[in-house]
Amino acid sequence: MALSKFKKRSALFNHFVLMLLALSIILPILILFFNSLKPQSELLTNPLGAPMTLRFTNYYDAFVFGNYSRIMLNSLYFVVGTLVVCLPLSALASFSLAILSPRGKLTTSIAVYLLIGLSIPAQLYILPLFILWKNLYLTNTYIGLIIIYSALNAPFAVFLMRSYMIQLPKELFEAAKVDGASTFELFYKIAIPLSWPVFLTSGLIVGLAVWNEFLFAVTFIQDENFKPISTILFSFSDKYAHDYSLISAASIMMAAPIGILFILFQRNFIAGLTSGGLKG
Amino acid sequence: MNTLFSKNFITWYFLLPVLIIHFLVIIFPSLSSLILCFTDWNGFGKINFVGLENFKELFDDRVFLLTLKHNLIWTVLFLTIPIAVALLGAYLLTGVKRFQLFYRFVFFFPYILASVVNCLIWKYLFHPMHGIGTYLSSFGLDFFSTSPLTSKSTSLYAVAWVDGWHFWGFLVVIYITAMYQVDESLYEAADIEGATKWQKFWYVTFPMISPTFFFSLLIIIIWSVPAFDYVHMLTNGGPAYSSEVLANFLYYEAFYQMKVGYASSIGALMFVYVFIITALFGLLRRLGLDI
Amino acid sequence: MKFKMYKFLFTVLISMIVANSAFAKTKITWWNYSDEGGGLDATLKEMVQDKFNASQNDIELEIIFKDGDVNDNTRTALLAGVGPDIITSSGASYVKAYHDAGFLLSLEKYSQQYGWADKILPWAYNTGVFDGQFYSFPQNYETMLYFYNKTLFEENGWKLPTNLKEYEDLAEKIMAKGMNPYVYGSSGWQPTHEHLVGNYFNTYAGPENVYKALTGEIKWTDPVFVESIELLKKHMLAGYWAGSLENYYAIGWDDYFSQLTNRQAAMLPIGTWGFGDTIAGFEAISDEFGWSKLPILGNYGGNPNYQLSIGSTMSINASSKHPDEAAKVINWMISDKKRVVELTKKLGFGNWLIPLNYDDDDFSQDIHPSMRDFFVDFSETTAKGDYGYTTWTFYPAEAGSHVWKEMEVVWAGDITVMEYLEEQQKLWDKARSKNALIPVGKR
Repeated sequence: MALSKFKKRSALFNHFVLMLLALSIILPILILFFNSLKPQSELLTNPLGAPMTLRFTNYYDAFVFGNYSRIMLNSLYFVVGTLVVCLPLSALASFSLAILSPRGKLTTSIAVYLLIGLSIPAQLYILPLFILWKNLYLTNTYIGLIIIYSALNAPFAVFLMRSYMIQLPKELFEAAKVDGASTFELFYKIAIPLSWPVFLTSGLIVGLAVWNEFLFAVTFIQDENFKPISTILFSFSDKYAHDYSLISAASIMMAAPIGILFILFQRNFIAGLTSGGLKG
Repeated sequence: MNTLFSKNFITWYFLLPVLIIHFLVIIFPSLSSLILCFTDWNGFGKINFVGLENFKELFDDRVFLLTLKHNLIWTVLFLTIPIAVALLGAYLLTGVKRFQLFYRFVFFFPYILASVVNCLIWKYLFHPMHGIGTYLSSFGLDFFSTSPLTSKSTSLYAVAWVDGWHFWGFLVVIYITAMYQVDESLYEAADIEGATKWQKFWYVTFPMISPTFFFSLLIIIIWSVPAFDYVHMLTNGGPAYSSEVLANFLYYEAFYQMKVGYASSIGALMFVYVFIITALFGLLRRLGLDI
Repeated sequence: MKFKMYKFLFTVLISMIVANSAFAKTKITWWNYSDEGGGLDATLKEMVQDKFNASQNDIELEIIFKDGDVNDNTRTALLAGVGPDIITSSGASYVKAYHDAGFLLSLEKYSQQYGWADKILPWAYNTGVFDGQFYSFPQNYETMLYFYNKTLFEENGWKLPTNLKEYEDLAEKIMAKGMNPYVYGSSGWQPTHEHLVGNYFNTYAGPENVYKALTGEIKWTDPVFVESIELLKKHMLAGYWAGSLENYYAIGWDDYFSQLTNRQAAMLPIGTWGFGDTIAGFEAISDEFGWSKLPILGNYGGNPNYQLSIGSTMSINASSKHPDEAAKVINWMISDKKRVVELTKKLGFGNWLIPLNYDDDDFSQDIHPSMRDFFVDFSETTAKGDYGYTTWTFYPAEAGSHVWKEMEVVWAGDITVMEYLEEQQKLWDKARSKNALIPVGKR
């Protein structure tokens, strides 16, 4: 009896703190949402409150001005394309690091090598990369940018996948080897099916990174028709003008698809980061 | 023939695709850039070799040393506050039954938003004339009467606040998955002993999630070096270089001052900085910490 | 029967293909920066691209709008040996860099062929002349001026200042009323500081001295410049713009016009690109606005002048396969003055104000009277020789970015004004020795 009361009070305390933390996030974003519905003029008189006049046309304007449908499709191509390239390649690499040679100098050096790549600022190598890409005829193409995104996101994906795969029961692999399975079969018959949670998680994280990415998109894509969604925000703000209501609306529209995906796949997302099942 | 398919080679075959595109896209161009740090190239014209001139100039540059200090502060800030808040959030989250999905989604949401959006939100909120400053003033609380982004003493911390605000939700997700794997029975045993929340955390939760925790430390350190977006959009290093960081300084030198050679030497030093940190980490690992 | 049918169709098909290739249009690409929110993209498409394509059959012009920094995109492409036929750049320092690297085609022969030197205002033309040849075409000209709330001034019996004492007195009077004398700020665009530096140089030290410093006759450490910057620092710390230094950093474009129309500030020192929003802002309220040249603050200031500035420029890529056609496009742009005015009018006159020799009848009746007055006054004033120099048009890259980046350090008090100007002078000397200066026409 006492324990359950204690648990209830303890849960209440938890909720209290969690709610405070949640508010620190909800309130600023709520204001963004409010602003996306206000006409430009109301921003002066009512900067933080709920909109007094609802102007849904902000969304319409952002849709039209920013050519939303086209750019969203482009972003979709980039996300799906990157996932199709990056995830399998990363899975192969993680399998190698996790199962084929679980310890030893190889793993450490590769890990260090990939990690260091994460810390190099893009501004340092984007110019030589463009020149290289131009010589390979890869600029202004979907596949060119997809390869770049795959390379940029592979290290993190490899890390996630490796920590997951390393917890797969070794006995399964041993048994299969005894049955005469080739290494490749070990990979696609055992490792892959068991690892789908981490694939989902990596997919969401890599997809998110590609969706929001701006710098490389703008440098390597010259054609209007290939522009991705991250450029929409820059259509409405430059050194001269900020139309806050339009930008707010555009931001909500840009975040919405990913937000929805995350809500739908939340549980699986978490599963991918765990060892995929209870121990013992 | 057999050797080509021997264990060692297979390992390499699996790794090769990722290593190839990684080298092509990141390493090779970066190396070419680094060669530039021995030149005075302006991004357009002739390339003249100047040896170590750039490095000499860099160490004399008062801005560079200030920037280095700021990056160190930035790393320390990110290693402490977001981690503490995320651990708190994740831990408390394991202690509630309902609304878990709600909280997780809310905490993670700013990470989903593009950095431009987050900067816009906070610039708007910090605005001295129509932000929370004016709102609080009506209650007599004056601390945001000027935007914290615009005063020398607080600019770096204000930028770190915005970046941290968007980032800690990501850590929550990482920690909570590790925490879910902690054996229930350990907590029950602790309850029987009458442990407080804090004691449960310190003696049960924290030790059990230490691999994940160390991973988060490493990733924060590594990601803190090229930190650029938030500084660039919120203050561009100002006022008076009080929030300048290495990556932003590099960008300014390369694209505004047109000193690509000089900027590359900043890049080279950033590279060395990371190398040292990672080596330190490797050392700690060798000392037995399970990563 | 059937066979004859096929032969007929075949002939038609072949003739179509032949006709198409014989009359295949030359494609000219042009990269410009994007500003959808300001209506730039749509307007340029309509007024330039579509109209040009409709006006003739040989050339097809395609304008591509780049998000982010068009200079970064362009430079990257040029380095890789490609890029558009027509290049847009943000200003003279880029043109200089491109020219030095050999990326630009000399337009001298086209200039002579089409007579551009007579059509474009001389000082603007000169900013595009390197090593005696014409390379870059000004897209826009800008200058700095004041907008002020005329009704507010009349109500309070205030007059626009004509010298330093009046300037400071007026500021005090305005602040006493709880308003900001000026509204201006750098949020979102740190280079804003260069506008203020240019203003003070040209109104205190005066254009003659600025010209001498630009050409190396005197140094930037000369007392006139030191005093100019000391004055700027004094006024900034007193809160002339937005009430305090911190607020100045936090104020951005939207705030300029809202403060001016809300009577939170009395004046707005901005460039001609502010005309559009000022007109629009005041249309919605009962107050009226006025505009004026910047007041002269120093003894060397001379007469009230207009600082010269070229906004963006256009050039032809040296590796373009169709330079003649590209030149045709550029020539078409300036051939009809009425059309030029029409284009810039659609953009609120903030952009694409090509510096041509305008007459009064080039302007249609529905232009705002303030703008018409400005155009006339600008031509007359600059013709008299009362013009100054903006930093972003006439400074080499390093000195130009140092001007605004380090200004914050001066305001923060971390370096002295003299140290700031000494660093400036060093950068100028360095640029001079490397032959990296921007051409400045003779006064």
